[in-house]
Amino acid sequence: MGFVDAISVVWENQDLTIRTIEHLYMFGAAMLGASLIGITLGIAIYRHKKFATILFNLLNISETIPTLALLVILLPIFGLGARPTIITCIIYSILPITRNTFAGLTSVSDEQIFVAESIGLSERDILFKIRFPIALPMIAGGLRIALVFTMGVVTLGGLVAAGGLGAPIQTGIQLYDKNIIIVSGLWVGFLAVALDGVAGFIEGRLEVRK
Amino acid sequence: MIPADIGNATMEHLILTYGALFVSCIISFPLALISMYNKRLAMGIITFANLLQAIPSFAVVAIVVPLMGIGFEPAILAIMLRTLLPIIKNTYIGMNEVDRSIVESAEGIGLTKWQIIRKIRIPNAYPAIFAGVKFAAILANSIAILTAIIGSGGLGSIIFEGLSNLNTDKILAGSLPTIGIAILIDVSFTLMEKMLTPSIYGKKRKK
Repeated sequence: MGFVDAISVVWENQDLTIRTIEHLYMFGAAMLGASLIGITLGIAIYRHKKFATILFNLLNISETIPTLALLVILLPIFGLGARPTIITCIIYSILPITRNTFAGLTSVSDEQIFVAESIGLSERDILFKIRFPIALPMIAGGLRIALVFTMGVVTLGGLVAAGGLGAPIQTGIQLYDKNIIIVSGLWVGFLAVALDGVAGFIEGRLEVRK
Repeated sequence: MIPADIGNATMEHLILTYGALFVSCIISFPLALISMYNKRLAMGIITFANLLQAIPSFAVVAIVVPLMGIGFEPAILAIMLRTLLPIIKNTYIGMNEVDRSIVESAEGIGLTKWQIIRKIRIPNAYPAIFAGVKFAAILANSIAILTAIIGSGGLGSIIFEGLSNLNTDKILAGSLPTIGIAILIDVSFTLMEKMLTPSIYGKKRKK
């Protein structure tokens, strides 16, 4: 049996099309949630700086927790499936997004703010029309880190009955079927690298525009 | 769940984590040093490191099975695949980003390239090297749970037992110690970094 045949057999038997859709659905939901919460938190601690240290310490601790440990601890609360998986993704992704949003907003130079003030922009306008656009490349960088985390955790979702591409990998390991392991392992690896590449390209373009 | 079982599993987990981390360090540091002499190798390693970083850990653990089968050694290889490159990358970047003027004055008093690496670049790269090893240790702790699925033993196998019949006690017994270990790694590495970083440099960095 040739290599191409092996791929198509695994692809059919393991429903990899459906698994990929499930995978990308969880990925999309988690990224959307994490971006909304992360960017909002970033702006909030920018406006109330006294909370910054506490929040970052808290997020740093959550970041050191092993992904699988956090995922399984959430199971008694949220049950099996996509829900705990997406929530775990969001918890891990908040830190890079919030940190980069905060750093981006504070990185704007005094001269730029001075110019904005002298043409009479309000503080709110300065935040959303000056600081936010200038911070955009850094925020994109945070989102890219979050993307990598999220792909990793979504793949673990296969272990807690969330479906996605982790499911065929687990099946492959349990059946000790090398074809299934190689095809689904390489496919999810390729997807992750490709998405990261696209994100890197967008980040680069934003950097140039700045 | 007998406490002794958790103790044994924790020992297995620690041996797996630190064993893999130790081997990673032993391989990484010389490679980082060689990279200092070979720009192309360095660029290759950094590109490869960034690429590999994006691949989900579970996929890395799985891919090891067709190569080496299941058990303790494949688990070590899986952890190493994830931890080698961050250590090499951080060590290399740390040594490379030493202030130009410091390196130039070292060249000025006639130090050789190797002397500059040993006496100037390495001590100045301590913070970056520590950050890399700490990151790798936290990653290793995280993947050492996952490798239980390929038969490495340790705390992960308690978690997987708990998962198979949704036994909350077992899930917690397996996962809570790993969280404790993660926080311990974080705190101990931060302390070690403070102790080992040359103090004059530490003062200078505080700007």
